[in-house]
Amino acid sequence: MSDPTNVKLRVNNSELWGGLIGLVLGVFVVWSGLKLKLGTINDPGSGYVMFYTGILMCLFAVTIIIAAVTEGGATFGSRWTGARWTKPLVVIACLIAFALALDRLGFLLSTIPLMLLLLRLIDPVRWSLAIPIALLAPLGVWWVLKRLLLIQLPAGIFEIG
Amino acid sequence: METLLNVGQGFGVALLPINLLYCFIGVFIGTLVGVLPGIGPISAMSLLLPITLSGTPESGIIMMAGIYYGSMYGGSTTSILVNIPGEAASVVTCIDGHQMAKQGRAGPALGISALGSFIAGTFALVALMLVAPSLASVAIAFGPAEYFSLMVLGLVVLTFLTQGSMAKALLMACIGIVLGLVGLDSITAQPRLTFGRLELIDGIGLVPVVMGLFGVAEVLINTEQIIKRDVINAKITHLLPNKADWKASAGPIGRGTILGFFLGILPGGGSVISSFASYALEKRLSKTPERFGNGAIEGVAGPEAANNAAAGGAFIPLMTLGIPPNVVMALLLGAFIVHGVQPGPLMITQNPGLFWGIVASMYIGNAMLLVLNLPLIGMWVQLLKLPYNILFPLIILFTIIGVYCSSNNVFDVYVMIAFGLIGYFMRKLGYEPAPLVLAFVLGPMLENNLRKSLILSQGDLFTFVERPISAVCLAIAVVLLVGPLLPSLRKKRELVALDEGV
Repeated sequence: MSDPTNVKLRVNNSELWGGLIGLVLGVFVVWSGLKLKLGTINDPGSGYVMFYTGILMCLFAVTIIIAAVTEGGATFGSRWTGARWTKPLVVIACLIAFALALDRLGFLLSTIPLMLLLLRLIDPVRWSLAIPIALLAPLGVWWVLKRLLLIQLPAGIFEIG
Repeated sequence: METLLNVGQGFGVALLPINLLYCFIGVFIGTLVGVLPGIGPISAMSLLLPITLSGTPESGIIMMAGIYYGSMYGGSTTSILVNIPGEAASVVTCIDGHQMAKQGRAGPALGISALGSFIAGTFALVALMLVAPSLASVAIAFGPAEYFSLMVLGLVVLTFLTQGSMAKALLMACIGIVLGLVGLDSITAQPRLTFGRLELIDGIGLVPVVMGLFGVAEVLINTEQIIKRDVINAKITHLLPNKADWKASAGPIGRGTILGFFLGILPGGGSVISSFASYALEKRLSKTPERFGNGAIEGVAGPEAANNAAAGGAFIPLMTLGIPPNVVMALLLGAFIVHGVQPGPLMITQNPGLFWGIVASMYIGNAMLLVLNLPLIGMWVQLLKLPYNILFPLIILFTIIGVYCSSNNVFDVYVMIAFGLIGYFMRKLGYEPAPLVLAFVLGPMLENNLRKSLILSQGDLFTFVERPISAVCLAIAVVLLVGPLLPSLRKKRELVALDEGV
């Protein structure tokens, strides 16, 4: 009986997609190298190394694709079997929201909610512990950096921090 | 005599109160990150790289080096008491170390691990002192062709030793080279892959890339699982091994030290592979191999000595050739460069205080580690009980701060988060980040030396094979590249493949 987690020419073959992404990147690097000018072998230009590295990338990516098609590759689902896949997703979402807020809201107003969310949403820490940690850790870091090391952290539109 | 004078000068630098303080901070943090699973020396060093900017180069490098060899000590504590490797080089210590702890022999296991590490670390330093200056005098004769070929060899060895498909590892190395080329071309000053962003003119920072790929990605991977810790709760006594323990461990420590030191020097090698190699060697040499896996003290002593000796040996290619043999050394190279010091054959003569100061500080650091790891073991055991759901938000906070402070630029925080996501998906799809990071650091040097050699030889590609050192390096690289096509060598590669992810 064939292994359902190992597929060949299927859309959910993760190895195939990995190779394809590598190939696209390789083609982009080759194109960028050409655009930057290769120069000559006596006097290589800015794009010389990039161009040949791009060719190597394409070569390795094609090797991965061939192996994925001939030997098969793990399905996307099997890569996350037994894993709590929603947890890293939550962390990723929190980090993206934080990145968007950091410049606008400043360090303190963006970091305190980030800490609170991370403490409560993954493996919930009880409120009586989560709130002090979420408040004190960023405040402590902010105080050390701003007062002791004189490093300016983003203050945001509200000029807090 | 000259060496002794140099060592004296080194101790003069290392014993300055500020350097002693940095050394202590380094080994303390090293032990801490070694003990805590989920954060390794790479993350810790990249986190603290910006802090070293405020001090002298000596202080900064002393601290960074302390984190590295300190983590080798600390990692064994977690392996023995919890059966989770604190960092990658201690994976093998779990096998017999935890069994010893379960049998009520946690004390001797921790003791032999710390003492074996101390002996190996001291030997590696003596060898570093003797080998580095002689190698540096030979390395002065190296031209761009030799440097280029050595870097190619380093990258190929690392990809050879990386877990999983070699094509994937090589693809990662190529991506690392391209990322390293982002920014102004050092020869023509032409911007490359900057997409019109001013922040990319100076290139992508090493700190956000490493913090993202190792720090954030590691947290994302860890949040997928519920981390259970089976901490040995019994009181730890009899830390000093008895006569029989010493008798059984002397050989493994000696062999592990020599093996680890030489594997550490090799480009692409390092602490992880040396600990595995030492374990395999001891099991093969043992008259009672069936004891291995059931609490054999040799299975703890040998690998622990080997990984510490390798940590010392790895400084040789960095200090004498300016080529980092592994990712940790690549970070140290970054630390040297931010301080305006270029490691290489001339560093020992031009900056003797720095070189010998670092070497001397490592002696002092080793002694500090012995105190930190034996009498204070109870403190580290308490720390092991810190739950991961409290630890990981703090790791995220410190990575953000570390990255921001390295450049005072929010853009680098975005870069770190982006590389965190990339690193997470890379690992899920079986792509290791270590070759990418080493290639990222070596990329600009590799390009520079390739272009220089082509200009000097007027485009003659034979320059790489006509020069003996360059030819040997390239020949080994070709063998390693072609080797995995042969089934017997592929099997061997799978056996030694390492994970430098932690």
